[in-house]
Parts: sequence; structure tokens; C-alpha cells
Amino acid sequence: MTAFEELPEHRLSELDDDQLIAYLRDARDAGMPGAMKPALGVLVYGYWDVLISRARIRLPAGDVEDVVAEAVMSAIASAFDGRSVGEFRSWLHTILTRRVADYYEAGKRRPKTTELPGERDDDEVWGVEPAEPFAGDALYASECVREAYSEVENPAHRSVLDLYVFGPHSAGEAAELAGGEMTEANVHQIASRFQKRFRELLDEGDTSG
Amino acid sequence: MSDVQRLFTEYKEAHQASDGKFDPGALIEQVSDGDRVELIALIDAYLERAPRRAFSAEEFRRSAAAPVAEAVQRSLAGQAGLWPALLPRLRNRARIKRADLVAELAERLGAQGQRDKVAGYYHQMEQGLLPASGVSDSVLEALGRIVGYGAAALRQAGELPAGGGVRSSPEADAVFARTHDLATVADAAESEPAAEPEQWDEVDRLFRGG
Repeated sequence: MTAFEELPEHRLSELDDDQLIAYLRDARDAGMPGAMKPALGVLVYGYWDVLISRARIRLPAGDVEDVVAEAVMSAIASAFDGRSVGEFRSWLHTILTRRVADYYEAGKRRPKTTELPGERDDDEVWGVEPAEPFAGDALYASECVREAYSEVENPAHRSVLDLYVFGPHSAGEAAELAGGEMTEANVHQIASRFQKRFRELLDEGDTSG
Repeated sequence: MSDVQRLFTEYKEAHQASDGKFDPGALIEQVSDGDRVELIALIDAYLERAPRRAFSAEEFRRSAAAPVAEAVQRSLAGQAGLWPALLPRLRNRARIKRADLVAELAERLGAQGQRDKVAGYYHQMEQGLLPASGVSDSVLEALGRIVGYGAAALRQAGELPAGGGVRSSPEADAVFARTHDLATVADAAESEPAAEPEQWDEVDRLFRGG
């Protein structure tokens, strides 16, 4: 068994997510809870803005920070505990997606009628605004993106989607980074097919539901 | 290029140029109905793939992420799961002062005469010093009604991470005590909780008897 070595922030920031989680566990096992603090700082700071951005496009402004904070706490605690699934970043986003869905589910459970004084059932109080019909559509649309992406089986084509459609690169850069025989025209074709399929899935949802 | 594609491309460029701080609200407002839903889904998928941001100690200390990281640390180090992180947030969200919350909790538990003892126990719950497994459903139901949160969800939050805490050795206990300022707890509880189960009164049983 090796002794726990407390690392400074600049060293911690070089660790990947899984290594940071492992470091947190090691700090706990060594009885050094204070050493967890900087590692948690690196982890929480690293994803905070992007989680806030995701929540902001779906939730009323006043509830964004609370929902994100709860998602972060829950995701880190379960990862720390070995209950998370897959890579941490993806787990963190999955938890946030669930929390947003929970938020609107809780809204649906609230009585729709105006209550008279004393009429309220305290069990129904969840402290959120009523759900907007739009919120369910937006969550469904995200499912369609995932579905359209998962239907792309060719790893090179997925790589194009990651680099170009959902990444920071131009079509030319994506073609170069994807390697092989990929051309800029291919990149546009792959992106266009993906966008068409995404739109089809969305429309299927409209007609069925 | 459709409006959605154009706005999505604009968003990506603005997001990168602003180091992730760009608010897409104005772009989303430019489309409606199905197009808006489509644009939001694309932006969401783009954000999900964003890499972890490089750490900046100075920015972190000024950001809203700092108190969250601190609360998570208290949770991971304590014995009450996520309560140290969650309970203060719920209290703030419900816009209720701790003293008022404690008074109402004591009343709901039928312990108006032992408000100080309830205050001590509630303080321990917020600090992660009270094992979550010992806190009864009655307490969680009463607390849940005050802060607007389900009792089952509170129970679940108290169980994460399972068997949590660093109190695995005398050395760990010493460090834990130093970092959690146990004196504050003692100050908060004017009525010292009884040590042995046979000496417990009803309030002790509610907070420690499970």
C-alpha cells in the first residue's frame, strides 16, 4: 500500500476526471478530507459554466443554479461511491438531464387550479414553477439527437460529427483530423445526412404524439 | 443553410470566442416552435461534448462553483451524505432563516420545549456530523414539508455516498474534528444529547434512533 500524496492545484489540474475521483477516494481513505477541497475545485470549476449554459436554455433563470448544484453534488457523490456509469463527464451531463426532467415532472404534479387558503396539500409542494409544454418537446428533441447520433455506425463518420457538427472545427479541419480518405465534401455530406435524420426523428415524434 | 443551422454555427463561434460564457438566449429568441426546439437540442448536444475547462484558481474562488465544491467536500467527508450540500440550499431556496426552520421543525415534531436540542441536531445534519441512518422518517417528513422537498429524496440524499465519511481511524477522526469545528456544534446544542441509547429522550430517538 502506497502512502497518499497531497497534490497542489496545478498538479491536480493535470489529472483527468477519473484520476481526480480516485484522488478524492484516496484522500478519504488516508483520513485527509482537507486534501479533497482543491481536487473538487478543479472538477466543479471545470464543468460549472457548461452545465449552467445547458440548464439556462431549459429552465427559468431563478432555478438554474440550484438545479446545476444539485446535479453536480449528486454526480460527484455517486462517482465517488462507485455508483456512476461510464466516463464522469457523460455521467455528469446525464444527471443534469435527469434533474431537468425531474424539475418539469415535479411541476406537472403540482395542482393546476388556483388554491384557496388552507386547501394546499403539503405533500405536493416541490418549490418549482409549473411545467411548460415546450420543456417536454425540448427534452424529446435531445433524445432525437442522441438517437440520430447512435445510428451512425462508422467511427470515422462519428468522428466527423464530434469534430464538425458538435465540435469547434471547420469542415476542412474536421476532414484533416478525421484522417483516411475524408474530404471536406464528405464532411458536409455526413453532417447533412445527420441533420436530415435528426429532423426526421423530430417529425416522427410530432405525428405520433 | 437553414435558420437553425446558421444560428447553431453562430452559437458555436460565440461560445468559443467568449470562453464558454456566451448566453444563447438572444439567438434562441430568433426562431420559434419546432425550430427553437431543434436549435436548443443541438446547442445542448454541443455543450455535452465540451471538454473540462482548464483550472483558474483566481476565477474559481470568485465563481459560484466555489461554495458548491466546498459543500461537496463536506458531504464526502461527513456522515450524512449530501445533506451538508443540500440542506442549506433548500433552506435558502425556501427563504427561511435557520432559527425559523428549527422552530417550525420542533413544533412539527412536538418538541417545542426542546428547540435548542432540535437546533443542535439540525446543525449537525447540515454539517454532516449526524449519521443519516439514525435520523427518523418523522424528522425527514417534517423537514421536507418545511423546505418543499420530498422525504424520500432527502433520505436518498443522506445515503450518498454510501457509508461515507473519513472517520475510519482515530487519526481521521482528529482531522475531521479539526476541519469541521465541533465546538460550533457543541455551542449550538445547549442541551447536550444523551450519550447512551437508554438515556435518550424522544428528541434523541427522533434524530439518532433511525
